[in-house]
Amino acid sequence: MGDSDAIGRDAAVTPRAHETSAARTRNGEGGGVSALSSARLMLARDLKLAFRKRSQLVQPLAFFAIVTTLFPLGVSPELSRLRSMAAGVVWAAALLSSLLALELLFRDDAQDGTLEQYALSGRSLTWLLAAKTAAHWLLTGLPLALMAPLAGMALGAPAAAVPGIIASVAVGTVALSLIGSIGAGLTLGIRRSGALLSLLTLPLEIPVLIFGARATELAIGGAAYGVPLQLLAALAVLGLTLAPLAASAAVRINLE
Amino acid sequence: MSAFLDMGGYAAYVWPSYAVTLAVIALNIVWARRLLKRSRKEALRRLTIGGTEA
Amino acid sequence: MAWTWFHRLASPPHIYRVAGRLTPWLAWPAAALIVAGLIGGLVLAPPDYQQGDGYRIIYVHAPSAWMSLLVYSTMAVAAAIGLIWRMKVAHAVAASCAPIGASFTFAALVTGSLWGAPMWGTYWQWDPRLTSELLLLFLYFGYMGLRSAFDDVQRADRMSAVLAVVGVVNVPIIHYSVIWWNSLHQAPSVMRLGEPTMPASMLVPLLMMLLGFTLFFGALLLVRVRGEVLSRERAASWIREALQP
Repeated sequence: MGDSDAIGRDAAVTPRAHETSAARTRNGEGGGVSALSSARLMLARDLKLAFRKRSQLVQPLAFFAIVTTLFPLGVSPELSRLRSMAAGVVWAAALLSSLLALELLFRDDAQDGTLEQYALSGRSLTWLLAAKTAAHWLLTGLPLALMAPLAGMALGAPAAAVPGIIASVAVGTVALSLIGSIGAGLTLGIRRSGALLSLLTLPLEIPVLIFGARATELAIGGAAYGVPLQLLAALAVLGLTLAPLAASAAVRINLE
Repeated sequence: MSAFLDMGGYAAYVWPSYAVTLAVIALNIVWARRLLKRSRKEALRRLTIGGTEA
Repeated sequence: MAWTWFHRLASPPHIYRVAGRLTPWLAWPAAALIVAGLIGGLVLAPPDYQQGDGYRIIYVHAPSAWMSLLVYSTMAVAAAIGLIWRMKVAHAVAASCAPIGASFTFAALVTGSLWGAPMWGTYWQWDPRLTSELLLLFLYFGYMGLRSAFDDVQRADRMSAVLAVVGVVNVPIIHYSVIWWNSLHQAPSVMRLGEPTMPASMLVPLLMMLLGFTLFFGALLLVRVRGEVLSRERAASWIREALQP
């Protein structure tokens, strides 16, 4: 984490004096617009920073591939047997991979004090954290959704199942990233928080697992998967409205 | 009496269940009282050391 | 004027005193009800026509399961009050609930498993109730784990309060999603106790146990809250008076 990184970070989002929403409101401009635009800036910044460390980006995906491989090796190489568990395996692996990337969600910014700057900046912390969570999904969840059909087919799923697998994992990982952001916020100040983060986040993610695996299973079986997919989307929307609030509450408590 | 203990053949399930539950009840009583006792001791200790802590 | 009782409730010395005085009023009736319920359930109630004497596990299983949910709801409400109104006493209540709830969830799982073994032929089933009960246990452990990870009591209080509130949203979701999921696979055999309605001789001990356990929870809370409140006060002057034997 060199100095150039820190400079790159701060310049993007730390507002100059006349740009703070307080100053703007004094000048008669609305404060609401700045929440969305700062969120967009945060998203761009997180994505840019993540791409500077490409090796770290690949890790959750490599983990996903390895975990998926464990099952043919440990259980049975027979495709017919694997197909019956393919949905569950893909989802368990996706959950664990998403957890892996979660630790880094706020950690870097918390460590060098940038997170505190965001909380104090007068901009909406909720929106900023939502943007960070969106970045987490784009960097982890979406690639997982694109990799999942490969894993599925390696476990015996037919090619016709590909759109269904992508759709269910893509929507599900949105919910996973959101729920995970709550856990990341809660464990922010804790050293070696990996196990506790998993213990907190996984039970909360169980409904996503249930509906997601159901949708994926139906897709693999060639049946209509619309209903569980819609329930999955409902969970994602619920997460979208509640999770950034809970996460920002947790972060603020941490920074007190 | 032995018919009672036998629980119609289900003794191996009924009695451990009751044992576990009563153990949990007893554990909770002991636990709670120990917590209170420890807190009182700590609070008294803080008083005798005197004044406020940092 | 209406708020004075609320503010008094929030005052640690008041709580310490009142809780101490109230405890026997809950503890002894609880003990009496539980003993009466045990006698009623084990001795007086007739055997079930389907499950014989095996059904008597209900007299410890149902109250334990009831406790696991009651305690979690209390914990979540107390946590929310503590967060919103910044009441130390509310946080003390939430902290007190967790070990009680976790231990009774454990009891519910074990007794449920022992009940299921002869009736279902298996010690464990991934049916909706068992699965969501197991997840409730994980939620309790997560809550207690999060608390213990912080040295500062105030931060531990508020962080775990956020978790408790988030968790309570999750509990009905888990429960219904698991029902939904399970109904698509196959319907597990549901426990039936004799005919549709329980006769009074079976029902009364059950109600006594449920009420007895609830009062027991109240008594436990009173004792624990006193301890928690003490540990949250620094060298406050009221402590010296309160602790004179």
